Amino acid sequence: MGPKNFIIAVALAIALSAGVFVAIRTQAPAAPASALVLPATNPVPEFSLLNQHGEAVDQAVFEGQWDLVFFGFTHCPDICPTTLQVLASAKKALAENGRQTLPRIVLVSVDPERDTPEILGEYVNYFGQGNLGLTGTLEEIRKLTGGLGIFFEKQPGDGENYAVDHSAAVLVIDPDGRFHSLFSGPHVVDNYVRDLPLVMGGR
Amino acid sequence: MRVAILLMGTLLVACGAPQPPVAVSDVEITKPMPGRHMSAGFLVVTNNTGEALRITGVESPQFESVEIHETTVTDGISRMRELEELLVPANGSVTLERGGKHLMLMRPRNLGDSVTLQFHSGNSPVLTVDYSFSSEDESK
Repeated sequence: MGPKNFIIAVALAIALSAGVFVAIRTQAPAAPASALVLPATNPVPEFSLLNQHGEAVDQAVFEGQWDLVFFGFTHCPDICPTTLQVLASAKKALAENGRQTLPRIVLVSVDPERDTPEILGEYVNYFGQGNLGLTGTLEEIRKLTGGLGIFFEKQPGDGENYAVDHSAAVLVIDPDGRFHSLFSGPHVVDNYVRDLPLVMGGR
Repeated sequence: MRVAILLMGTLLVACGAPQPPVAVSDVEITKPMPGRHMSAGFLVVTNNTGEALRITGVESPQFESVEIHETTVTDGISRMRELEELLVPANGSVTLERGGKHLMLMRPRNLGDSVTLQFHSGNSPVLTVDYSFSSEDESK
């Protein structure tokens, strides 16, 4: 084999392996495009909060189902209802696609001063059946948010009229009650419909 | 030829209906959710004049208070702030939309099927918008 033929042979070999590589990539299961799956799952930190019925719950409330967890407040007229509506629409679309296992939608209040269980209940029920609302003392809420890397901060205001800055991410908690993945937003229905089956797999 | 086209353009504009100095479009007001005492208002304000327009206040007979707010998401943190004014550039427009600038309508009083919004610039009324709720205005 002369040097020229050798170069052609090497080029062919490279092209062939590139082709095989592309074929393998194409056949591999699609990876989530919007969701970030954590390299290792982490247990939800211990906490004691109230659900929307005023019942005490702890970290075990996250066990037994997939949860989509958003942190917000009911006096937020814009981002919070929009995000919850996106999650509700995605869940509906997944059901229509024939998916049996559907995630639960959870709103954790970052404004316990105004978000009583009753107010939170009316709010989460507005976005569908089976949703969970969590509120309680600021200290217990911080145990949960702190352990999950969620930020929130009440802003100065006039009496009852104030806003709360908060992380905009939606966290995915697996049926073992472990922080599994997250959607950092902007939250779009199609992203959830495409990625959630990949994230949840067969579970 | 170019002059002729320009002239025709001028004629067309001259013959058309006179443009209002300020116009609104794409108005959407959400209904307060059960148990909530607030709505959000979204719309596009267009300024057809050659001077920038500063909207410094909005009032509504159906709400005790209306504020201009802006939501921003920076580094994954959602923030909402009240704006002192809404600046509509000369011959331009400003869009109030979900996840951006919006009206926050607080504490409804005798809220029925419609909402009237009165926009002010200082003490001068700028425009009045009448909006009727449709079935799609459940908060979303």
